[in-house]
Amino acid sequence: MLVSWRWLSQFVDTQGVDPLQFAEKFTTTVAEIDDVVQWGFGLRDVLVADVLAMAPHPNADKLRLATVDLGGRTVQVVCGAPDLRVGLRVPFVPPGVTLPSGITVRDGEVRGVASPGMLASEKDLGLSDENAGLLSLDGCTAPAGTPLHLAIELEDVLYDVDNKAITHRPDLWGLYGVAREVAAMLDKPLRPFDLELKLGTAMPLAIRVDAPEACPRYTCARLTNVAVAPAPVNARLLLRRLGTRPISNLVDATNLVMLETGNPLHAFDARSLRGNAITVRRAHAHETLTTLDGQLRQLQAHDCVICDAEGPIALAGIMGGADSEIRPDTTEVVLEAANFDAPTIRRTAMRLGMRSESSARFEKALDPVMAEVAARRFLKLCQAWQPQAQIVSQLADMGPFTAEAKPLSIIRTTGTYLRERLGVTVAELSDAWLDACLTQLEFAVARSGDALAVTIPSFRATKDIKIAEDLVEELGRHYGYDNIRSEAPKVAARPPHTPPLKLLERQVRNTLVHAGLTEQVLYGFDDEDTRKRLLLSEPDGAPRVAVRNPISSQHTHMRRNLLPNLLAVAEKGLVQGDDGQPARKGLNIGVFEIGRVFVPEKSDDPGLPPVLVNGTEAEVAAYTAGMEGEMLRGVLDARAGTKPLPLQPIRLGLVFAERLGGGAEGSKLVFPAPEVTHRLLQQMIAALSHLMKWLGRDALTLQATGPEASLGAPDGQPSWRSKLGFDLVTSTGETIGFVAALHPRVRIELDQPAQAVVAELDLRALERVPLFKRVNP
Amino acid sequence: MSELPDWQIEIDAGAGRWQAEVNAAESLEALRSLEVQALGKQGEIPALMKRIPQILPQDRKGFGQAVNALQATVAAAIEVRRQALVETLIAAELNDTSFDPTQAALPLRVGHPHPLSTVQADIEAIFTSMGFHVLDYPEIESEFDNFEALNIPGWHPAREMQDTFWLESGHLLRTHTSSGQVRAMHEFKAPFRAIFPGKVFRYESTDASHEHTFHQVEGLMIDRKVTVGHLLDSMRTLLSAILQREVEIRLRPGYFPFVEPGFELDIRCQVCAGAGCSACKRRGWLELLPCGLVHPNVLRAGGLDPDEWQGWAFGLGLSRLVMMRYGVPDVRLLMGGDLRFLSQF
Repeated sequence: MLVSWRWLSQFVDTQGVDPLQFAEKFTTTVAEIDDVVQWGFGLRDVLVADVLAMAPHPNADKLRLATVDLGGRTVQVVCGAPDLRVGLRVPFVPPGVTLPSGITVRDGEVRGVASPGMLASEKDLGLSDENAGLLSLDGCTAPAGTPLHLAIELEDVLYDVDNKAITHRPDLWGLYGVAREVAAMLDKPLRPFDLELKLGTAMPLAIRVDAPEACPRYTCARLTNVAVAPAPVNARLLLRRLGTRPISNLVDATNLVMLETGNPLHAFDARSLRGNAITVRRAHAHETLTTLDGQLRQLQAHDCVICDAEGPIALAGIMGGADSEIRPDTTEVVLEAANFDAPTIRRTAMRLGMRSESSARFEKALDPVMAEVAARRFLKLCQAWQPQAQIVSQLADMGPFTAEAKPLSIIRTTGTYLRERLGVTVAELSDAWLDACLTQLEFAVARSGDALAVTIPSFRATKDIKIAEDLVEELGRHYGYDNIRSEAPKVAARPPHTPPLKLLERQVRNTLVHAGLTEQVLYGFDDEDTRKRLLLSEPDGAPRVAVRNPISSQHTHMRRNLLPNLLAVAEKGLVQGDDGQPARKGLNIGVFEIGRVFVPEKSDDPGLPPVLVNGTEAEVAAYTAGMEGEMLRGVLDARAGTKPLPLQPIRLGLVFAERLGGGAEGSKLVFPAPEVTHRLLQQMIAALSHLMKWLGRDALTLQATGPEASLGAPDGQPSWRSKLGFDLVTSTGETIGFVAALHPRVRIELDQPAQAVVAELDLRALERVPLFKRVNP
Repeated sequence: MSELPDWQIEIDAGAGRWQAEVNAAESLEALRSLEVQALGKQGEIPALMKRIPQILPQDRKGFGQAVNALQATVAAAIEVRRQALVETLIAAELNDTSFDPTQAALPLRVGHPHPLSTVQADIEAIFTSMGFHVLDYPEIESEFDNFEALNIPGWHPAREMQDTFWLESGHLLRTHTSSGQVRAMHEFKAPFRAIFPGKVFRYESTDASHEHTFHQVEGLMIDRKVTVGHLLDSMRTLLSAILQREVEIRLRPGYFPFVEPGFELDIRCQVCAGAGCSACKRRGWLELLPCGLVHPNVLRAGGLDPDEWQGWAFGLGLSRLVMMRYGVPDVRLLMGGDLRFLSQF
């Protein structure tokens, strides 16, 4: 979100503050600034000019000669702008002036006619990309010839605040909230809004809020005798530099007030409202609405809509309807300044893919108090721009917010507690400073000795501030985290606990790397293409954990074995080469991975604290004591829906692979000499023996897995073992994994002629292998 | 003196011949075979003794002495020659400059640890030295541990922000290592301090700086009266150890539902020392990790009384740290399995 320093300075005295330097303090106190932009500088030689006369250019159809008054002197220049007309006020760039864009205006001829100077567009002046016509200075009352920077608002500094840094701060989605923070930082007062209005007494129209939970507050007023025209130049340029396209005075006023107060507004053309009534309700299924952008929207029952007597005219809080928008001949408007429920707006906006400036704000849970402020600001602005406009109604105020004003939220804490959390003493952060800081941020502080009762202002109470720790943050960031003494925590000296499996994992990794294997860390997803090539198919294999929203059709399941992915990278290594050696016949590589695999059997881990699973009702009650609202409901829901997690054993997978000769198209059917397979098996056995020795554990023995080659082992082990397959059996007789050469049918599916020997074993089972004790003298 | 007997003449001549042959031996190997030929058990000189019966009886003593003398002379000559040859070879070896140190080395079969493992091991060692448990928690998690327990209720935008892989079973792939926080609290009660590194998953499209699977390290300290001052000290100490230089850090407000107050922690840019450069996008500071004081609701979910116990927590991007340390330009290299990449570590 862009913040105008110049605009902000209308609400807080920033005299003597350099906004460029202040930006860093803002970042560390309020929210991160992505970029600081200087706007409208370098234009001090540009003058205000009134177009007095226009004449055709003798040598060009599209150019005209404009005679302009520069206050005391007139000049004739050539102008190509299509919107040039007598009476227009425009910027004049005298000859010799270099504009911020780098263009220097020459004192020369254009198509044979002298043109000492130039009439400028916004783009010419570097104010925006708008280049369709001249910058019209409507609303600028300075005499002709006045330097432009004295006649209109130029020379601004813009903060581009990171939107992600203010998602939890609805108040900062309007300039006024930002100004409040700046006022607190500068210890200056925040100027209150002038909200005095002369209102009518009639209702603007008949209003009903039938969905009070979706619309806590709906304020509305009727304004007549308006004329649609461009907004004053300062307003238009302000909108432009804040990234909003100026449209017309009425629409621009809604946008400016939204940017100022943070509360979005909508103006309807009163003519278009059928039945002189407005109802706020949930949409009916199959209802449709054509929104301002011309799109026909299918509505659903949870959407909130604004309706007239006949049907929806706006998608609440997101976008108005096309039929009721402000038109050039609009003379009477109905203004809406409302507050809508954040989850309702977010759900609809996300479903329809229409995150507007308005929905982005309502999603943050806005303060209902600001709806009325925004309405009054709009009405004041319209009257300032169009004195003839009349507010013919009262400011109607409907919805539950008015019916029962929400009780104020109060946090009870102590100064000691707040200071203790920060780690500062009362000498560093005094009671007086603490009270002043919170008061400056519009918290109401009632102090009794050390005890504090802090009332949360409405604009912080919707979701941002709830507990004492939130006040710790308010104090900390304004006190300055840099001012907090860094202090080593005093902790009990105890040796840390590291799970035995973790220690084993480290030993295995180090040993295998030293034995010449390269470690891999691979994805937890299976790759379906790889599985297909390896003849691993669902009916043959064991069930796997399925992903509901896979990232691609290749990654629909979690891996149940390490070997498919590991074999795929070994295969790729045999093509690409390894360690600086180019791929060639006889290239021999060894890789391993230690990682989790996923078995859809229920584990004994419920993914919930034990007390929620096994505890008595009394224990559960004790556990949930102190939890409230959403937290409590979430925890109890989770308890109701307990479902044990799948098994997630940690496995060790190893692959030794060697490239065979051949490999050109059509010659994939290369069969390895027995010695190649034997050598790979010996490498694998050597690596495993070495591993067991370094782990200090009893050796593993190999047991042949039966006479027949089996495609499709029942236990979830891959289906690629050939007759050269062995179970890995421990000294206590437990089978903890297997070693196998590739099944020939699997092998001939590889992309390259290659042979491989694979092994996979369970790390927890490995940990159970007895430590080696019998040493021969 | 009478004329010398024939055998005497023969032995004397033999001495001269052997001496000449010894001197002609140009290598240790040639000398050794000459030694065997002259002095070995089947050698020519011991063989002379077999002629004793043909020698006049009164000469036999003299003959024996002469043969022994010949044997000693030849043995001494061989030893002298051997010494000379050894000296020559030593000199030659010392003067050998023929080695070209730029030539390709012979291949050595070495394995390569994965850089993620190396950096993770470094971090584990640092934290272990400061009394932190090193723990390991599931990758498939319950909604409770990944969200509810971390004060992220169902409606919360954070659940959308962290786009999540959901499983058909209703479980999910953990979106952060923070999912271990409440598990650790139930496992170790209080006080304790721990890190838990591991894989995390985000449902997002990949590019050079985004991956759907990456690695994090969670840090958690639970104790009495834990303060922002403690967090500052711990983070500066630990990050200096991890980055192997003294780092300057700063905290600024950051919003994460499971900490309050929450921070983004920046480190002073090392490239420009804070002056502003392209590495830090002209800010002088580099955003490194989110951290904060553990939210009371998280402590409650962990079965701890927030009035008695507090804590700090951080989440460090391990993948990003690996990329920073080794200058890895593309995060997808880390889990791509390419041996040409891995063999550089």
